Amino acid sequence: MRHLYVVIDCSRSMEDQDLKPNRLTSTLKLMEFFVDEYFDQNPISQVGIITTKNKRAEKLTDLAGNPKKHIAALKKAVDTVCVGEPSLYNSLNLAIQALKHMPAHTSREILIILSSLTTCDPANIYELIKTLKSLKVRVSVIGLSAEVRVCTVLTRETAGSYHVILDESHYKELLMLHVKPPPASSSSECSLIRMGFPQHTIASLKDQDTKPSFSMAHLDSSSGPGLSLGGYFCPQCHAKYTELPVECKVCGLTLVLAPHLARSFHHLFPLQTFDETPVEELQGDRFCHACQGALKDKSVIICPSCHSVFCVECDLFVHDSLHCCPCCIQSQSRP
Amino acid sequence: FSPEDEINLLVIVVDVNPIWWGQQAQREPEFTLSKCLDAVLVIGNSHMAMSRSNKLAVIASHCQDSHFLYPSKRWRGGDSGEDDAPSSGDGKYELLSVANKLIADEIRNVMTKTEVSGNSSDTLLAGSLAKALCFGQEIKSRILVIKAAEDCALQYMNFMNVIFAAQKQNILIDACVLDSDSGLLQQACDITGGLYLKIPQKVALAQYLLWVFLPDSEQRSQLVLPPPAHVDYRAACFCHRNLIEIGYVCSVCLSIFCNFSPICTTCEAAFKIELPQMVKPKKKKLKQST
Amino acid sequence: MKLHVQLQCKNLHQYLRELSPEILDRLYNHPATCLAVYRELPSLAKSFVMRMLFLDQPLPQAAVALWVNKDCQRDHDECVSVLAGLRLWHSQQLQGGLLGYILNPIFKDNLRITLLGGGRAWADEGSTLGPDRHARDIESLDRYATERWEVILHFMVGSACAAVSQDLAQLLIQAGLMKSEAGEAPYITSSGFQFLLLDTASQLWYFTLQYIKTAQSRGMDLVEILSFLFQLSFSTLGRDYSVEGMSDSLLSFLQHLREFGLVFQRKRKSRRYYPTRLAITLAAGITSSSSCSSLASTPGDAGFIVVETNYRIYAYTNSELQIALVALFSEMLYHFTNVVVAQITRESVQQAIANGITAQQIIHFLRTRAHPIMLKQTPVLPPTITDQIRLWELERDRLQFTEGVLYNQFLSQADFEVLRDRAQGLGCLVWQDVAHRVMVVTPQGHSEVKRFWKRQKSQM
Repeated sequence: MRHLYVVIDCSRSMEDQDLKPNRLTSTLKLMEFFVDEYFDQNPISQVGIITTKNKRAEKLTDLAGNPKKHIAALKKAVDTVCVGEPSLYNSLNLAIQALKHMPAHTSREILIILSSLTTCDPANIYELIKTLKSLKVRVSVIGLSAEVRVCTVLTRETAGSYHVILDESHYKELLMLHVKPPPASSSSECSLIRMGFPQHTIASLKDQDTKPSFSMAHLDSSSGPGLSLGGYFCPQCHAKYTELPVECKVCGLTLVLAPHLARSFHHLFPLQTFDETPVEELQGDRFCHACQGALKDKSVIICPSCHSVFCVECDLFVHDSLHCCPCCIQSQSRP
Repeated sequence: FSPEDEINLLVIVVDVNPIWWGQQAQREPEFTLSKCLDAVLVIGNSHMAMSRSNKLAVIASHCQDSHFLYPSKRWRGGDSGEDDAPSSGDGKYELLSVANKLIADEIRNVMTKTEVSGNSSDTLLAGSLAKALCFGQEIKSRILVIKAAEDCALQYMNFMNVIFAAQKQNILIDACVLDSDSGLLQQACDITGGLYLKIPQKVALAQYLLWVFLPDSEQRSQLVLPPPAHVDYRAACFCHRNLIEIGYVCSVCLSIFCNFSPICTTCEAAFKIELPQMVKPKKKKLKQST
Repeated sequence: MKLHVQLQCKNLHQYLRELSPEILDRLYNHPATCLAVYRELPSLAKSFVMRMLFLDQPLPQAAVALWVNKDCQRDHDECVSVLAGLRLWHSQQLQGGLLGYILNPIFKDNLRITLLGGGRAWADEGSTLGPDRHARDIESLDRYATERWEVILHFMVGSACAAVSQDLAQLLIQAGLMKSEAGEAPYITSSGFQFLLLDTASQLWYFTLQYIKTAQSRGMDLVEILSFLFQLSFSTLGRDYSVEGMSDSLLSFLQHLREFGLVFQRKRKSRRYYPTRLAITLAAGITSSSSCSSLASTPGDAGFIVVETNYRIYAYTNSELQIALVALFSEMLYHFTNVVVAQITRESVQQAIANGITAQQIIHFLRTRAHPIMLKQTPVLPPTITDQIRLWELERDRLQFTEGVLYNQFLSQADFEVLRDRAQGLGCLVWQDVAHRVMVVTPQGHSEVKRFWKRQKSQM
């Protein structure tokens, strides 16, 4: 479980056109992709976005687990006017305020995308770095222009990473590095968290006893649809929500769907790498056991446990998306 | 290029679990496996007839294995010379009669050659789905599962992996369930945006297939189709495989437990005991209320 | 004003809708036609047909209307009109007085047969003849088809080596692709130029349509040849079929198809024929999609043209036809054994446009035949070139023709100004020249202006 604040520099330097069409647009586009991937890989984690410009820091979105909201905000942010200088101190401070209340078993992370070479801070930033360190907040920085000393110190002290981009594809690569959860440090606490797995009830208009009701999530958001028929009901207090995962506003229980958790199982049970052998050594039919295609490449991939033969494409697919051997699961009865 | 040129693959996964179909033949002699396969041929033919760019694959999902009925390996290899392409003497579109003959031959092969060994009587759908995904990796495809036997609870994790892979690839999974509801398939359809339907009348399978499952995703947005099914998203705990509504999740490895234990059995992390969270879930009361 | 007529390529439905109901009903007697018509339906209409295919009772129209979402009502109406227009379903009074739809029974039965069998065979199979000793593989069929088709195109561009039968030459003239003056060899028309730049599938479909149009004048039965064409397009590449049971007019049609390269027959009298890829992709051309993807797989069809930003074209080909096509809109500079170098100039493009070719067609031609190296860049063609070709086309459209009535020889400047102001007030003044006291008004405004002028004169 992760809590991550992304700080996006919106200072004048973001208007530079070394990334096409300019740094800001390019960054926001990559961020949309990042948010999607992040929630794909870390289903019950949260993200918040902070922008900094004109010596101030502003929250674009609060820490939340719903990718749609973030993406909508990012789409809206394209029209932001980039002015003034960023403030590292203010943005870190803003992030700390929210992160320090997060439970100790989760990770507290800040990712800064810094374009400017300068920062305008109201107080000594080294003091703040000490605070960050004591709060176990991990700060990473992606620089869009050049290495800056203060960032080097910041990341070194908080055990984060610091990279400066070479070009757009490198930028994407660096950003995607932050999608994978950082290895849990031994010092971090572990705990068992109580969670609710609510069922989705769909009420149709035909039922006599169904009444439309408000979702609890709409209590604090002014907009959005009000009444709806079906929804997820908290198993503890029966508050209704239309979207999951969410923390119940009434009883504080974390509500998730089993698939949310299942999504990250493959991190825990990684699929073993398959062996590569030249195609000549293969006896019998030369076809891929997964896609049934003929094996045309020079080498074939063999699963060490069930000895099924695969082509290179299927091997990639199996390891990148499927995370289980399509032939082993035919025979094996262990989950 | 116009979307009409795009290959549109329909992969039909048929549950051919011999144990279930054997019992079915005794229960309802009017709806047997061969009737079911006839219905599969109808929808397969209709799909292929719809457009030149429509392609079909049929996978039989057996107890231990899954077989590609069409296109079969032999056919792909191009050595169809010896058994000579069958002629369509009855006015059927030639491509279809070739395909139908292949499917019929292959299913006969599968049912006679594969033996049910051991005590596992569950259909291993996850494997068939995984192969279906591999087969349709690079083209626009969707999967239709015709499910007969019960879910296999042991497959949960593999099944989930398959579903997420399908979701990533934007592949719809549709399910047409003949007998008892399948929680796994409900989740699969819900997550990938496919349709889940438990058909009330097995004999009318072909009509259900044509009405509900033949239209592709673009047409579905125009048509009025059965409403989404109720999906059971409760998790199964790692310790007893019970379905639970409130459980405990390890913060390190996300394993799910139905009871509080001081050490995670999966990742061996020792938990800090937080007193406020020790309140016992009121299980009995909750079960009544759902 | 458009100086030439754009080549119109109808799709199958547009064509079928023009046919008389009797012919349509007869057409549906053949399963192949039913399948071809079904394939070209809008996707929603396909679902409708599929849902009703196995029903024998009519369905209430209100029930059918409930099949679609409320916001897709327009699609529903379109489907209803298409299905009714092609006589695929009929309205029928139900017992309760409601109106219902029922599928055309002939169409329904034949579509069922294509899907599930249970009917008569479409045609006699080659297998009754036993295996062919001179069996053809797919490659050689492809080669044969492209060769034959290119001969026709060569003939159109006037290559000396290309000779076609009298029938074919006549057909080209009737189709308006070529023109011939008495005693002279036929020469290409502006439609012909446009035709050359189409992709093969569209060319073929256009040509077939023209052929069908003139078929009846040849004493052929339209239904018979259409059914045969569709049957061909659903046959299997590389298989042989027998001519057994074909009528004489169909046999002579087969000979024409043989000349176009749609079927392969070893000898004129041979009892078996092989459909080629051209015949099988014929139905693909119907969709009028601008793709030749199905043909791109044939060898030698890979792109060969490199266009540089300096307006040079390098065409790596030794096909006379392709060179002739490139020469349609460019100036040839060098001609080597495997490559020709040409230059796109203002004059050459203007010349092509004068011949009735559009800029879009030139660009499409270059793009579809672009060399693999060109395909790697986006956009495939340098934008400067495509823009310039379009600009050259626009240059010719500088003049806008407007009909009008000229007023001149005013006696005084005052007269002129009074009338001009009146015309301006009416909004019908097109042009004026104060110095020469000349103005032009629109024909609609002419009578009003004239009446005003008469009144004006009588008052003076």
